[in-house]
Amino acid sequence: MVQRLKIVAPPRTRPLPADWRLQAALSAVLWAGAIIMVVPFLWMVTTSLSRKADISMPRTPSLWPPDPSLFNYQIATANLPIVQLYLNSLIVVGATTAGYLLLCSMAGYAFAKGRFPLKAPLFTAFLATLFLPFETRMIPLYLLMGQLHLTNTYAALILPFLAGGFGTFLMRQAIAGIPDELIDAARIDGASELRIFRSIILPLCRPTLATLAILNVIWRWNDVLWPVLVTSDSKLFTVTQGLALEGHSQGTYTGVALATAVLSILPVIVAYLVLQRFVIRSVASSGIKG
Amino acid sequence: MPNAIRSNPTHPVQRALRGALVWYGFVLPPLFLILIFIVYPTAIAFQQSLFTAVPGAGQKFAGTAHFERLLADPVFWGALGNTILLGVAFLVLVIPLATVLASMLNRLRRGATPLKVIYFLPQLTSSVAVAIIFNYVFQPDWGLLNGGLRALGVEQLPLWLADPRYSLTGSRAAATLLAVWAGLGYFILVVLAGLQSIPAELYDAAAIDGASALQSFWYITLPGLRPTFVFLIITGTIDALARFSDLWTLGGPGGSPARSLQSVVMYIFQQGFVGSDFSLAAAAAVVFFLIVLAVTLFAFWGFLRREFSAVR
Repeated sequence: MVQRLKIVAPPRTRPLPADWRLQAALSAVLWAGAIIMVVPFLWMVTTSLSRKADISMPRTPSLWPPDPSLFNYQIATANLPIVQLYLNSLIVVGATTAGYLLLCSMAGYAFAKGRFPLKAPLFTAFLATLFLPFETRMIPLYLLMGQLHLTNTYAALILPFLAGGFGTFLMRQAIAGIPDELIDAARIDGASELRIFRSIILPLCRPTLATLAILNVIWRWNDVLWPVLVTSDSKLFTVTQGLALEGHSQGTYTGVALATAVLSILPVIVAYLVLQRFVIRSVASSGIKG
Repeated sequence: MPNAIRSNPTHPVQRALRGALVWYGFVLPPLFLILIFIVYPTAIAFQQSLFTAVPGAGQKFAGTAHFERLLADPVFWGALGNTILLGVAFLVLVIPLATVLASMLNRLRRGATPLKVIYFLPQLTSSVAVAIIFNYVFQPDWGLLNGGLRALGVEQLPLWLADPRYSLTGSRAAATLLAVWAGLGYFILVVLAGLQSIPAELYDAAAIDGASALQSFWYITLPGLRPTFVFLIITGTIDALARFSDLWTLGGPGGSPARSLQSVVMYIFQQGFVGSDFSLAAAAAVVFFLIVLAVTLFAFWGFLRREFSAVR
């Protein structure tokens, strides 16, 4: 609604004397800042492409490798099972995101449209979990995984993140906005609640589901605290964990370490550049950091 | 489905019961997971903080012994001090910087999108990768920063991450610069959303009254951004309290050099996971919980309630 109004409305008449000098100055300052944001990335890529970087670094940083080669990448991929790391991250991020979206929408649907005893206290209980920081429960959770014989399994990486108060709240708000008449009409036509959930609720909540999916992917992809606690078997390491534990141990070989870093963040950056419109909208609309 | 219910679905009580059962089918699976993986371990953290595990003899009530042990540990106070110092320094730098840059972006008529994408880029990079990159950026001899300073003619080059002292060029300052670089994009996006919610008519009215650009910034923009600032300070404080990944990547669980980068969560991690002193870790975890809860409740009763009622 707001978006549409903006297009129809005449351009804003801010007290801006529409002169190009101001626009040029703004551009100059903002692009200077943008260069500061990008230079560390460029320097990382440059250094990772320089074979000499493993022995001695130039005293004046350069943004062009003196001896471009893929040597460091060969070493990095030989030392790190990069394909396995990506596979593990995809499994963990994929399973948690699919489960989180499903379970949060289920709870959200019940709390938005359902009528059942204890609805209000249960919803309050879901919301109250927002006040329980992960860091408070992480050591007992790690011990619990040991008791369940789940340490060093994918299940340990996935199960604790399948349901949560934040997603339930977001989905409840989105589903509460769907008109009751739509659902009643489907009910009169004989559709079951499950059918209504699948064919009406979920499709209508697509924007919120996309927001929640993007946020969850960022959280789970970047998480390192929980994987480090619950997996010690390097066959189960995620990309971020592998980078932290293995990539760091190559610290003395600057070129190799930075090649490892590039391999771990390049696909994320490519995905981000493709999806940037959605990512930025998700963060701006929810106000939640990735 | 039991036959009794299906045989007479029109009976109102049975219909209501069946209706409720369907809804419980939606709520119980997530509730079950929340109870096992969120509520139960949190309760265990509280329990562990009050009991001592005696090998072969179960649990012995310890009263406040573990909390006394925790509060007598200078390492814990150091970690708490670091966490607060790093959080305050980060917020004091990033919020004004993001406000200025977002105001500029908001005034830019063309080409704001690529800039937003670039400023947000580090946010998408994991804290681990950011820490690894900046470990080299801050390298004293040939790092990007000191190399650049040398090229500019600076003679006395700072040691950055290698210097554990409280100084503007020490390890804490480096960790703060890193956090500002990584977090700036998110703060800009949120401030930008706040700026766009300020009605344009206010600026028009100010212009008619002859207000300068600086005056409208001071009397319209900053008051209009109040809810945004409150939101950013609260979420930023809670995030800063929970800081772990980047500091752990830079300095291990001890936060080297000289524990200058150890945060509270790293302390819990070190005591519980590395040292297996679960009761001490649990006491620290409970204190952490209470601090986060205090910040949240203070924020809610002090500020957010008014903002929420204003929205509704």
